[in-house]
Amino acid sequence: MAERRTGSPWTTKMSTASLVLIPAAIGINYVGKLFASMLKLPLWLDSIGTCLSACLAGPLVGALSGFLTNLIYGLTMDPISTVYGLTQAGIGIVVGLMAWYGRVNKAPGILLTGLLAGLTAICISTPLNMIFWGGSTGNVWGDAVFAAMGSQGFLASAVDELIVDLPDKIVVLFITAGIYKVLPRSLVSLYQAKDESLD
Amino acid sequence: MKKSISLYEEKHSFLNGLSPETKLLYVVVAIAIPVMIGGRIPFIAFMAISIGLLIDSKVLYKAKTIIEVSGFILITVVIIQTFFRGGNYTELFRLGPLVARKEGFEYSMGILLNVLNIIFCFCVFVLTTKPSDMMQEMVKHGASPRLGYVFVSLFQIIPQMTEHTSTITDAQRSRGMETEGSLGTRIKAFLPLISPVIMSSFMDTKERSIALEVRGFSSKAKKTFLEDFIPSKYDSKIRMILVIIFISSVVFVILKATGVLPVWLR
Repeated sequence: MAERRTGSPWTTKMSTASLVLIPAAIGINYVGKLFASMLKLPLWLDSIGTCLSACLAGPLVGALSGFLTNLIYGLTMDPISTVYGLTQAGIGIVVGLMAWYGRVNKAPGILLTGLLAGLTAICISTPLNMIFWGGSTGNVWGDAVFAAMGSQGFLASAVDELIVDLPDKIVVLFITAGIYKVLPRSLVSLYQAKDESLD
Repeated sequence: MKKSISLYEEKHSFLNGLSPETKLLYVVVAIAIPVMIGGRIPFIAFMAISIGLLIDSKVLYKAKTIIEVSGFILITVVIIQTFFRGGNYTELFRLGPLVARKEGFEYSMGILLNVLNIIFCFCVFVLTTKPSDMMQEMVKHGASPRLGYVFVSLFQIIPQMTEHTSTITDAQRSRGMETEGSLGTRIKAFLPLISPVIMSSFMDTKERSIALEVRGFSSKAKKTFLEDFIPSKYDSKIRMILVIIFISSVVFVILKATGVLPVWLR
C-alpha cells in the first residue's frame, strides 16, 4: 500500500491538491456515518475520510480533515461534537504517521494502526466524555457496561469508550486499506511527488 | 438554488448585526461563567439570556432540531446516572429491581443544565452568522485564505455528496444488493455503497485542484472579500460589556475562594 516516504511528515506547506483533498475526506466521513446509520450498523464508520486522507497526504492533512469534520458537525447539527474534533485530529495524526513510515502495508500493520487509532480515541475522548456527559458515550452497548460498572469514574468511562471505538477504528482501517489499494496510481502520485504536477 | 447545510438565515436582527467575534466571545462567556461560579442559577440565567436573544432573532425554532440530536443522549445519561450510579445513595423511588438515587439524579441534572446551556449559546452564534462572515473573521485573524475557502466550500460540498447517497443506494439495490436483514447482510452492503462515493469524490478532487489553480488560488497577492461584513454600532460596546462581566466573575470566584467576600454575597 503506502510506501515509506522520505523527509519530515510535518512540513506545513500545503499543495492545492492536498488542500482540496480535505473537503473530499470530510464528505466521505459524513457519508460513512450516514450509511452506517442507514444500515443500522453498530459502528460509527465516520473516520474513513480522515484515515484515507492521512494515508494519501500525511498526518497534517489527516488531522485537519478530522478536526474540520467535527467543526462542521458542531456548526450544523450538534454543538458538543466540536470538541471531539480533537479526537479525530489525533486519529489523523496517528494514521498519517503510520502510513508515512510505511507501516500500513500488510494485515498486521493495518491491525496495529487500527489499535493505535482506537487507543488515541480512548485517550482523548474519555476525558471529554467525563466533562460533558459524566462518562457516557451515547452508544447502547458501551453505556450498558458503563452503568454496570457504577456509571462513574475514569476506568468505567474508558471501558465504555473502548467497547465503542476500538472495533470501529479497526474496521475503518481495514476499509481504508482496501480502498487505498484500488485507488488509481495517478491520484496517489499526486500527493507523493515533491513537485506538484497536475498533468 | 444554492443548497447549504448551514443553519444561518438572514433575519436582519440585532444578532445578525454583531460581528462573529463578539458572538463567539458570548459563547465563551456563557459557558465559562456558570462553570466557574457553580450552582444551578448561573446556568439557568445564561440559558434564559440565550433563549431571549434567539427569540428576538426569530430563530428559536431552529434550536429545536439541534436539541433533538443531543436529546437522546441526555435522556440516557439521566437514566444511567439516576438508576446506576455507584457509591452511597439516598433512595427516591423504586421501579421493579431498579432504585432511583437522589445523588445520581442531581448529578445528571447538572450535566443536563451544562449541555443545554452550551447548546443554546452556540445557537446564538450559529443561527445568526453566515459561514462566509465566519471565514472573513478567521482570515482577518491570520488564517490562510486558502483554508478559509476550504471551510466555506464545505457547506456546499457536503450536501452535494449526501444527495447522491440515495441514488447510489437505489442503483446498488437494483443490482441485487440487500440492505436489510441480518447483521452480516447489512455489513456486506456497506462497501458497495461507500466505494462509488469515495471514487467520485476523489475524481472531483483533481478537477477542483485545476479549477482553483486557474483562478489564482495559490497566488501570493493579497486577497480581498466580495462582501465585507460591517458590524452594527453596538458591536464594540457589547464586546466591552462581555469582557467586563467575565472579569467580574473571575474576581468574584477568586474573592469567594479566598474567603474575602462579605456574607451577603456568598
